[in-house]
Amino acid sequence: MTPFLTQMQPEEFTKQLVEFNRRVLKGIDSLARIRDEDFEVGFTPKEEISREDNVVLYRYLPLAERPSHIPILIAYALINRPYMVDLQENRSLVRNLLKLGMDVYLIDWGYPSRADRWLTLDDYINGYLESCVEAVRQRYGGEPINLLGICQGGTFSLSYASLNPKKIKNLITMVTPVDFHVREGMLNVWAGCTLAQPNLDVDRMVDAFGNIPGEYMNFGFLMLKPFQLGIRKYLELIDVVDDEEKLLNFLRMEKWIFDSPDQVGEAYRQFIKDFYQGNKFIKGEVKIGGRVIDLRKVNMPVLNIYAEEDHLVPPASSMALRRYVGTNDYTVRSFPVGHIGMYVSGKVQRDLPPTIADWLRERS
Amino acid sequence: MFWNDQAEAVTNAFTESQTKIWESWCALFRTVPSPMMPLCFGMDQWRELTSKGLQDWTAESEQVVKDVAQRLHVAQDTAMRFLELSLSAWKAMTPKVESGEDWQTMFANYSTKLREQLLLSPDGMARTAGDMAELWRLYLEEWQKLSQPWTESWRRASWHFGQAATGDGSALIKLTNLYWDAYERTFGRLMESPSLGHTRELNEQLLKGFDSWLDFRRASFEYQVVMSETWCRSFERFIGRMASLVEAGKPVQDVRQLLFLWLDVVDENFLAVFRSDEYIRMQGHLMNTAMTYRIHERDIVEAFLKISHVPSRSELDEAYRRIYELRKEVKELKSAFRQIQSKVA
Repeated sequence: MTPFLTQMQPEEFTKQLVEFNRRVLKGIDSLARIRDEDFEVGFTPKEEISREDNVVLYRYLPLAERPSHIPILIAYALINRPYMVDLQENRSLVRNLLKLGMDVYLIDWGYPSRADRWLTLDDYINGYLESCVEAVRQRYGGEPINLLGICQGGTFSLSYASLNPKKIKNLITMVTPVDFHVREGMLNVWAGCTLAQPNLDVDRMVDAFGNIPGEYMNFGFLMLKPFQLGIRKYLELIDVVDDEEKLLNFLRMEKWIFDSPDQVGEAYRQFIKDFYQGNKFIKGEVKIGGRVIDLRKVNMPVLNIYAEEDHLVPPASSMALRRYVGTNDYTVRSFPVGHIGMYVSGKVQRDLPPTIADWLRERS
Repeated sequence: MFWNDQAEAVTNAFTESQTKIWESWCALFRTVPSPMMPLCFGMDQWRELTSKGLQDWTAESEQVVKDVAQRLHVAQDTAMRFLELSLSAWKAMTPKVESGEDWQTMFANYSTKLREQLLLSPDGMARTAGDMAELWRLYLEEWQKLSQPWTESWRRASWHFGQAATGDGSALIKLTNLYWDAYERTFGRLMESPSLGHTRELNEQLLKGFDSWLDFRRASFEYQVVMSETWCRSFERFIGRMASLVEAGKPVQDVRQLLFLWLDVVDENFLAVFRSDEYIRMQGHLMNTAMTYRIHERDIVEAFLKISHVPSRSELDEAYRRIYELRKEVKELKSAFRQIQSKVA
């Protein structure tokens, strides 16, 4: 039997250790030289269209010489900040859609404070989202508009579209959870899709916290892959310390990952109980503002985009949508990346914007 | 934005289990006479220096940069601890392997020692038990007549201590359950009865707070036992994976490969545990007890605030609720007004 562990010689092992530590020091040194302005995020010029409480509706300024006047309203999740769609110049969904002539709008849900803890899903969907849709529609003579919902924002968009099918011309859902009882998703399991209340007593949590702290949410996400996300990722950073561009990309991503707003207590309570634990979304039992969400009423064209290696929203959870929506015009597209890769993968950013733009043009 | 101590304690439960395993491992392997001892000592010094220098280095940087530098340092520290362990083990075992001894048996012995050390380390059982013993002592002095069940629990405890020393993590859970059983038969029952006197409300809240704190401590301890056991299993599987690679003629060639193989194995192992119903229940119990404690703690604080004529969180929340309802009503009225206006126009 070969001696324990490896066939490396101790001298070689020690030499590599020294080199490893030298690279770490170089990495910290490189980081220390970077200043705030070096890694800005959300750089594409935009204007404020409307503001209601913490929620702001933005319109991105056109980049194409001849814009096609096809409006897209992007509704992001309440978790993390929406500038992920415009993280950096060469990997910006927004910028690429603008270049293809789209008229892009974005909802920024803001950072809720303790005073917002009583906001419900009704306030988000029938209140803020409705106001934003109306604001964009007014700019287009009251015509229905295109809605692009991302992650939880996709679930909100589906809910809104089922309640207001005449206001949405085309619906695009991206990495959107639909079936919350898909067990491949650790998030689903931890949120109580199998054991419900004994696993996560959300009533008690909201009563204790008020709003759910963003740091708590983040810790939960990191625990889904604790060693990959907590250690390996930073060890791999050592490999790119000489490449300033890659280092800056890494920092932008870190900024986004740890920029987590608190989750509004009442909305969180309902989302966990009805969606994750009760899986009522696909059962047609979720009530928003007293009205039942019936996915069969989603009768406009739907483009459903999912990530094949998504560990937060498993593909099966998104793909389930086909079975529940009422539309006859249903298209599905996937990309061989994870949840975050949908926004930052170079290949996806090359292929995804034209996929959306072409699909919309065919239906405009 | 700050979050409360209870939530922090929940997240710390996981990270503490990591710290504990490293401390135990390092202590264990340092008992092995090895020519690598000077290197181990050097690593400690290096870690300390880097840690101190890190803050000065990034003092002028934005918070994100500081955070990334800190995480890089933590990752490096974890990697170094692991490599230190591997190197020490390697050095200690190689001569025995070369002299014809069976390394698997030897590693099994290491693993057993690790379990013993981890599960009975001062940072594990002893510290928790120490806190509890002090609490029990204070309470038993006050409540002498209720002490009988505790005598019984201590008598039975000796057997579980022995079992735990064999590395059986479940024994520790059984052991702590003795305390809880006894507690529930004494103070727990007492809490169900109506309190008397003019400070009845506050006393009751204090007792309930204490009760929920104990529940939380118990849940934290049980969680850490499971995590520690998972660490031990991860290390065993990692060694097994290494052996398989050697047998297949594909031994690990460099430090990077070694590190990433280790991280892959540990992640796989933890994720398998995270998916188990047992873990989900335990994590849920930890969270639920933490939240209950948080609620009771707030009740106690608010009772004092009330006495001191200071507004409480609950009162503020209630005010926020009324503002929210009024705001919503104003929005509805505005919307209705706009509709009427447009019809008139």
